[in-house]
Amino acid sequence: MLAFQLGETVMMKSKDNLNSAEVPHRYSRQVLFAGIGAEGQVALSASSVALVGCGALGTFQASLLVRAGVGSVRLIDRDFVEESNLQRQILFDEQDVRELLPKAVAAERKLRQVNSLVKVEGVVADVNPSTIDRLLAGADLILDATDNFEARFLLNDYSVKHSIPWVYGACVGAEGLTFAILPRETPCLRCVFESAPAAGVSPTCDTAGVIGPVVGCVASLQVSEALKILAGHRALVNRRITRIDLWGNRLACVDLPPRNPECACCGRRDFSYLEGAMGSEATTLCGRNSIQINRRDGAKLDLAALASRLAPLAKLEGNRFLLKIAVDEYQLTVFPDGRAVISGTTDPGVAKSIYARYVGV
Amino acid sequence: MIYLDHAATSFPKPERVFRAMDDFARTSAANPGRGGHHRATEAEAMVEDTRRLLARLFCFSKPERIVFTLNATDALNMAIKGVLKPGDHVITSVLEHNSVSRPLNRLAADGVITLTRLEVGSDHRIDPGDVARAFTPATRLVAITQVSNVTGTIQPVEAIGKIVRDKNALLLVDAAQSAGVIPITMGAACIDLLAFTGHKALLGPTGTGGLVVGERANVMPWREGGTGGDTSSPVHPGAYPHRLEGGTPNVMGLAGLREGIRLILERGVESILPCERRLLAVFQGALKDAGRFHWYGADKTISEQGGEGRVGLVTLNLPGFAPAELAAILDGQFDIAVRAGLHCAPYAHGHLGTFPDGAVRISLGWQTTEEDMKTAAAAFNEISGVA
Repeated sequence: MLAFQLGETVMMKSKDNLNSAEVPHRYSRQVLFAGIGAEGQVALSASSVALVGCGALGTFQASLLVRAGVGSVRLIDRDFVEESNLQRQILFDEQDVRELLPKAVAAERKLRQVNSLVKVEGVVADVNPSTIDRLLAGADLILDATDNFEARFLLNDYSVKHSIPWVYGACVGAEGLTFAILPRETPCLRCVFESAPAAGVSPTCDTAGVIGPVVGCVASLQVSEALKILAGHRALVNRRITRIDLWGNRLACVDLPPRNPECACCGRRDFSYLEGAMGSEATTLCGRNSIQINRRDGAKLDLAALASRLAPLAKLEGNRFLLKIAVDEYQLTVFPDGRAVISGTTDPGVAKSIYARYVGV
Repeated sequence: MIYLDHAATSFPKPERVFRAMDDFARTSAANPGRGGHHRATEAEAMVEDTRRLLARLFCFSKPERIVFTLNATDALNMAIKGVLKPGDHVITSVLEHNSVSRPLNRLAADGVITLTRLEVGSDHRIDPGDVARAFTPATRLVAITQVSNVTGTIQPVEAIGKIVRDKNALLLVDAAQSAGVIPITMGAACIDLLAFTGHKALLGPTGTGGLVVGERANVMPWREGGTGGDTSSPVHPGAYPHRLEGGTPNVMGLAGLREGIRLILERGVESILPCERRLLAVFQGALKDAGRFHWYGADKTISEQGGEGRVGLVTLNLPGFAPAELAAILDGQFDIAVRAGLHCAPYAHGHLGTFPDGAVRISLGWQTTEEDMKTAAAAFNEISGVA
């Protein structure tokens, strides 16, 4: 604590040719931390990070990264700010909800006020096989702030293919999970999870809820790994998976399985998510305003189980052939073979996101 | 799997069609008209033979005026854009597929033509009297379907053809749903332009189709290039069929189409419709409560008139299920393929009152059996039981 009390007069340690005067004073406390130092700070300010998702995890991550002075931060999200986001998505406020702002736009606006030295770019877009190259171009590191496995497998394919590190992060309820993926060095997401969990059985934040603290914890862990990588301390990256349960008072680091030489992604370099051969398939239905989602993983849905999970959240109606779920202005009709018809949108991205939130992928 | 989406494309194709394509690809698939070696001449002979078979099918004496296209949409665009001039008036109907409506709508929106879209009555047929009344001195083209892909009703093409001929205009008929299902006589029906597809009832592969250009019509080419023969000419040849056929044709596809047409001719095109109507009656008879469904006018024609005036295609809805839901249940839980939605014919659904959600279409084909229809009816019974 004593060091911090030195306050404004702190001297920055210079290494090599770095001139401490070049490091803006606003980062003084971070530069004082030996792990970063002036050299690390300069490296941070020369880095570019892409955040895929700008919800709970994304807003926490973005706030930390922009304050830390990462040179360029791109926030990608296709959703709009809703009232139910405010409980945990720290960059948004009631005005954003009233203005119906896209999350990427609202976040960019806030973050520009936080640190004008950082190039903050909010992009309202859906990350999918046809957009990912454009959206992630130039990123030195990717942070996972998505809410579904399909998107993560896509990020994983991109990361492994282009050798760009990414940090997985997920939370639901009071539990969270995170680990960093360093292509060619550490196991990739598909070495750890060969395929997505079964449809309709995994809790999501929209079905099982989530508390703010666990989001902050996971996002902080992810950003810590990001800072290590970007500040030039790759060797210090945690090679284990961190698991937290804030309600059950458990915090654990568990060994990852070894890299799988037969892994479809990093072993065989079969980037099927990136090529669009995997993941769900959205078809615009002939007729107005509805999209059909087809799963390609052959997963079956237990409609009764899904109904009991969703009962407290949405108006449900159904029979043994289908389950109709009314949420906001949309209606999801899901079928036992995993397909769904989403009415109320013509945007495949919106339909996929609703499917991910309520059924899960 | 029970496939009841033959109006979209016939599936599977007859084994003979697969074999014909395979044999042709292995033995003769050279570039027709582009060489004197025997493989090239064989390919050319096959293409010309296909034209002759089509001419026989459509009772048309000028096979050289049958032009191969990618599909019916391609043929319709070729005809519409190849005959219309600025200031022309066109008569069409609400029953048309987008492949007719959209090119016409575009020309009308661009101010090139004026357009009259005729409503139809509760029998889902164009009234020839309405066609006559819609004529103006500028009317150049009447563009109608022979069989609606939504209602399945057969249009009075012959009666309309006589009116059009009297008025000295051209009749363009969209035969996507009729070629290979009902006998078509170019001359007797006064058809000037007939657009067909190869992959539906003609049992050929996708990527095949054509435009039959009657002698009164002259279609301006919109695709010029290599045709083989007369290569020294600086411009595209004016004679049919090459006038409208630039580039290497889809010989593989045509080899399959030829076999499909042979099959239809062997079976006799006039025998197909009675068979389809009987199957529709079996389906309706096997339903526990046919009255629960919305039949869009088809129930009475099937039960009381033996399906007279329609093909083996019926569009219906089951109250309590959106069309897409019903189709998804049939596919996912009963392995029955049907087509839900607007069937690329939004005006037809507007006429039926089923726009924008559409309806579920059941369409039969060459391989459909009574057993299939009973199984499908049982699935509908089961689903309607929980509605």
